[in-house]
Amino acid sequence: MLLDVSEKWVLVIDDLEGMRSQLRMSLSSAGFAKLHVVSCIKDALERMESSRYDVILCDYSLGDSTDGQQFLEYLRTNDLISRNTIFVIITAEQAYEKVVSASECAPDDYLLKPFTSAQFTARLEKLLEKQAYFLAIDKATDSKNWGKVIAECNKKLPLKDKYFIELCKIKASALMRDGRPQEAADAYQQVLNLRPVAWAKLGLARALSVLNKKDEAQKVVREILAESPQFMAAYDVLSDLLAATGDKKSALGVLQKAREVSPGTMSRIRELSSLAVSAGQPELAETVMREALLKHKYSPVREANDYAVLSKALINQGKATEALAMVNDAQKTFKDDHSAIIFAATESVAHCAVGNHSEADAALKRAMDHGDMSKLPAQTVVSLADACFALGKEEDAHNLLRHAIQNNHEDDALKRKVHDVLTAAGKDPAEATALIEATTREVIQLNNDGVKKAQSGQLSEAIELLCEAANRLPNNLQIVANAALVMALHLVRNGNNSQELAQCLHYRSALVNKSPNNPKLAQIDTLLKQLSDKSAS
Amino acid sequence: MNNLYAAVIHDVKNQLAELSLRLGERTDAQTEMSIAMNASNRLSEMLLMHRHQSRQLSINPVAVNAPDFLSILAAEYRELFPNIIIVLQQNNPPAFSFFDDALVRMALGNALHNACRVAKHKVMLFAETVDGMLALGVKDDGSGYPDEILATGGASPSNISNRGTGLGLYLARQIAELHQLEKRQGRIELSNENGAVFRMLLP
Repeated sequence: MLLDVSEKWVLVIDDLEGMRSQLRMSLSSAGFAKLHVVSCIKDALERMESSRYDVILCDYSLGDSTDGQQFLEYLRTNDLISRNTIFVIITAEQAYEKVVSASECAPDDYLLKPFTSAQFTARLEKLLEKQAYFLAIDKATDSKNWGKVIAECNKKLPLKDKYFIELCKIKASALMRDGRPQEAADAYQQVLNLRPVAWAKLGLARALSVLNKKDEAQKVVREILAESPQFMAAYDVLSDLLAATGDKKSALGVLQKAREVSPGTMSRIRELSSLAVSAGQPELAETVMREALLKHKYSPVREANDYAVLSKALINQGKATEALAMVNDAQKTFKDDHSAIIFAATESVAHCAVGNHSEADAALKRAMDHGDMSKLPAQTVVSLADACFALGKEEDAHNLLRHAIQNNHEDDALKRKVHDVLTAAGKDPAEATALIEATTREVIQLNNDGVKKAQSGQLSEAIELLCEAANRLPNNLQIVANAALVMALHLVRNGNNSQELAQCLHYRSALVNKSPNNPKLAQIDTLLKQLSDKSAS
Repeated sequence: MNNLYAAVIHDVKNQLAELSLRLGERTDAQTEMSIAMNASNRLSEMLLMHRHQSRQLSINPVAVNAPDFLSILAAEYRELFPNIIIVLQQNNPPAFSFFDDALVRMALGNALHNACRVAKHKVMLFAETVDGMLALGVKDDGSGYPDEILATGGASPSNISNRGTGLGLYLARQIAELHQLEKRQGRIELSNENGAVFRMLLP
């Protein structure tokens, strides 16, 4: 190999001994010296905890459990590997067609078996060349700094080199993540003018959906599915578009169709079974989730919430005892606090359904005792609310739901989940919608009041209002940004105060972590600069 | 071909591939490795043919850099045919083109394989632009295509010659034709120019 690869770390995951030794030989003869070879995902994850890999070679089929594609999806959604890590899926040709379009979460390359050592080395060399080319962009992607990703792409796009299309794809996706759907739509359209490729059409559909052109978006997705029924991600988008209109039955139908084409990723299974539960088809939810959990029995891709959905499906069929036993059994395989909360809430609902009210109470107490609600994912807070409703604790349930919405007031999918919980608890659908809308308006009003007070010079009142809200709703970035801004303004006007500065910086860093390109950051930083100039002089 | 036959062929193909890989690990069995790999590739073609006939074959075009694509192919066949000189020639192909890299690799790999078998010394792999289409090609210095193959150009899988079963050409033609853009369709072109020349044109 022309490149010096002796310092590159490589991880090989293959369940077949023959393949492992072939890859080991090919890699060694190509000059790779730092090599780990494992036979299963569990061992791979253990290795990943202590080593950072430049290249991961993973077989598609890893026995009967989680496959290579699902593993890659798990790694990417949980940010367990850098975008710059080369991930190659090795597959036999009969599975290739199924694999290649199965997910949007594509590996850097597919290697079709059988392959010779020379072919393998030549391909790896091209991939390493690409890895070096994309290093700066990938680093920006890892830190979710979309503005930087876009800027780096813009530097290279005028070259119109062999990576042009890849650059277009990365840039368009970064524009979407950065909250610039119109520009993203234009970027996808630019690719479509060159070639009608499915991923660009799907990107366009997503952008149109965010731009509230839902009908147009639906038309584009249906077009993709007519041309390439194997393009699985299109089913997810179509189902989501349909669910957003309230048509759960059709949304569910689309995901079932997808299931006929490909067994599917865990995220689709999750979506399908929650939809099935909420559309009144618990039998379907049970079948699908059971099958998936059985397949992934010993795999890290399972989540506590998966058992929560299964439990709900069982309870809705009157199989509460079975649900309880299943939950008790499953929670032994999870060790973390967050899963413990979900299991305790799920257990509480199951106890309720069986009729053990004191046990239900105790389980709910365990769930609620884990402390600060504001740090929990919204989905978990909604599960807790569900458990409260089951025990007749209406007020607690409402408070939790209110918190979940206000902490994520722009998340429509979450609002649909809240709606499900409210209607399952016996609320009239129209009433539930009204409640969600009122709660959303309330938080927007709160933010606007704070801003207005600041503009009219009532800085202390603005701070009181916005900081209280920011502490309570740390995920509501609009409020967090405004809290940081008024604090910075106050510091500039009234001179430095270490306690206030610390609080301001705390909000600022929360903002940097979750939204590094937030336009308010520049304003905050200008004020903080004024402050430091002032104290220096 | 029914699915049982397909499954058996698949199994034998994999066993041949494994045999080939094991032979490759030895230093004294390069020719045998090449024979086994070739046999495995033939069976891959048959399976592809089966999928084509049962209308399961669809293409998934991605952006590919033709020079990179050809250099990987060359590296593979240099290993299988160490006595043949494989050269690359790039006549200003575009920086990126859209095609199904796995299927085109299979088609071109077959053409390259046959070229290596009949060549005296040298085979050339080339990329160029013809009629606004990307042309990927293989040229050898052997005795050229027989007349009947030039006449039919892979229209049916039945032309059996010294170059192979004819299945490869037939499939290459099908793969090229599956590539369509607006009103243009891919095609293959065969000619003799001091040896056989195979061209696959992709819109």
